[in-house]
Amino acid sequence: MGPVPRTLELFYDVLSPYSWLGFEILCRYQNIWNINLQLRPSFLGGIMKDSGNKAPALIPRKAQYMANDIKVLRQHVQVPIQFPKDFFSVILEKGSLSAMRFLTAVNLEHPEVLENVSRELWMRVWSRDEDITQPQSILAAAEKAGMSAEQAQGLLEKSSTSKVKNQLKETTEAACRYGAFGLPITVAHVDGQTHMVFGSDRMELLAYLLGEKWMGPVPPAVNARL
Amino acid sequence: MGPVPRTLELFYDVLSPYSWLGFEILCRYQNIWNINLQLRPSFLGGIMKDSGNKAPALIPRKAQYMANDIKVLRQHVQVPIQFPKDFFSVILEKGSLSAMRFLTAVNLEHPEVLENVSRELWMRVWSRAAEKAGMSAEQAQGLLEKSSTSKVKNQLKETTEAACRYGAFGLPITVAHVDGQTHMVFGSDRMELLAYLLGEKWMGPVPPAVNARL
Repeated sequence: MGPVPRTLELFYDVLSPYSWLGFEILCRYQNIWNINLQLRPSFLGGIMKDSGNKAPALIPRKAQYMANDIKVLRQHVQVPIQFPKDFFSVILEKGSLSAMRFLTAVNLEHPEVLENVSRELWMRVWSRDEDITQPQSILAAAEKAGMSAEQAQGLLEKSSTSKVKNQLKETTEAACRYGAFGLPITVAHVDGQTHMVFGSDRMELLAYLLGEKWMGPVPPAVNARL
Repeated sequence: MGPVPRTLELFYDVLSPYSWLGFEILCRYQNIWNINLQLRPSFLGGIMKDSGNKAPALIPRKAQYMANDIKVLRQHVQVPIQFPKDFFSVILEKGSLSAMRFLTAVNLEHPEVLENVSRELWMRVWSRAAEKAGMSAEQAQGLLEKSSTSKVKNQLKETTEAACRYGAFGLPITVAHVDGQTHMVFGSDRMELLAYLLGEKWMGPVPPAVNARL
């Protein structure tokens, strides 16, 4: 038996474009590095409130920078990410609470599909400029990820229970205790130490902390560990 | 003659720790990549004011994150960077206006030593180790006097405004001029992306010296 895999916790919100990029990069590396990737659906709104931070998009030059940045990263990270037309409405008004509660329910009941359902929600809001706030939107994402209509409906109902609401709260608070002021954050547990890195542009630093090899955001698949 | 080197403008302020890290990485790559690195001393305070942004250190969790981040980056980027004991006093009260005016004067009169003098100033603020930059006492004094002239003050203003026009909301920013297009990247953690935009090879923050172009 080889060395014990190191746990990486990825705290993310589907409202966050950089969360998607970080997510895809880590999903690629989970079969390359000796890691155990644990997805932690979180609520970005809660983290902003708790940390006293504000959405970067509220500073005009930051919003402009993000728009250009996402365009370049689309090519570099090879993720079909695209700014929604009404960006401010999506980020600042509509939000992601229902979607993240749904993912929390998925994580509790069917964690094996959490990766796929998360991806389908990102594809809706951050690739095809589709809604993720209405029940039918969330169900559509779940079904596209391979869930049956019954399963998806059942989880949607569970999403509004105290159990799920509290679980999302707890995960968000855990991110805050790790020092989050935004998302994504990746928490690496290495040799009894805990390292938190913020953003999708710190994966090379993460590799350094893990003692693993960084091969860019699109590592060759042939290097996958068997 | 080979292909024309691409111009990279690095806008920086010695008050900014990430500016130092970006600076060292680009200095290492300036003899590896086909680039012409142009250093642009700028005033971070002016950029913050103009963009409506605020120093990240004002958010407690961001300050905490930076403290840890700098510790890790010290090893990863191999720069002797260290948080000053009186961090808030250094960053938020003392500021960097005189230092950046001084570097502006250096850039106007002795651009060949701008890299070394910038590094020396970072060493003073952001490291316990300080080395001599190789400038004579007279030279330094002369430049210090020039720092308070309108010419130098205006030059610093212009450079800072240029950064703002490129869209800066903080520092460092690196502006790459590639195939008639202009790309601005923010931060010291975007150098791999910069390499991608330049079509160059990224070999981490400490590239092997043997790859230096002759």
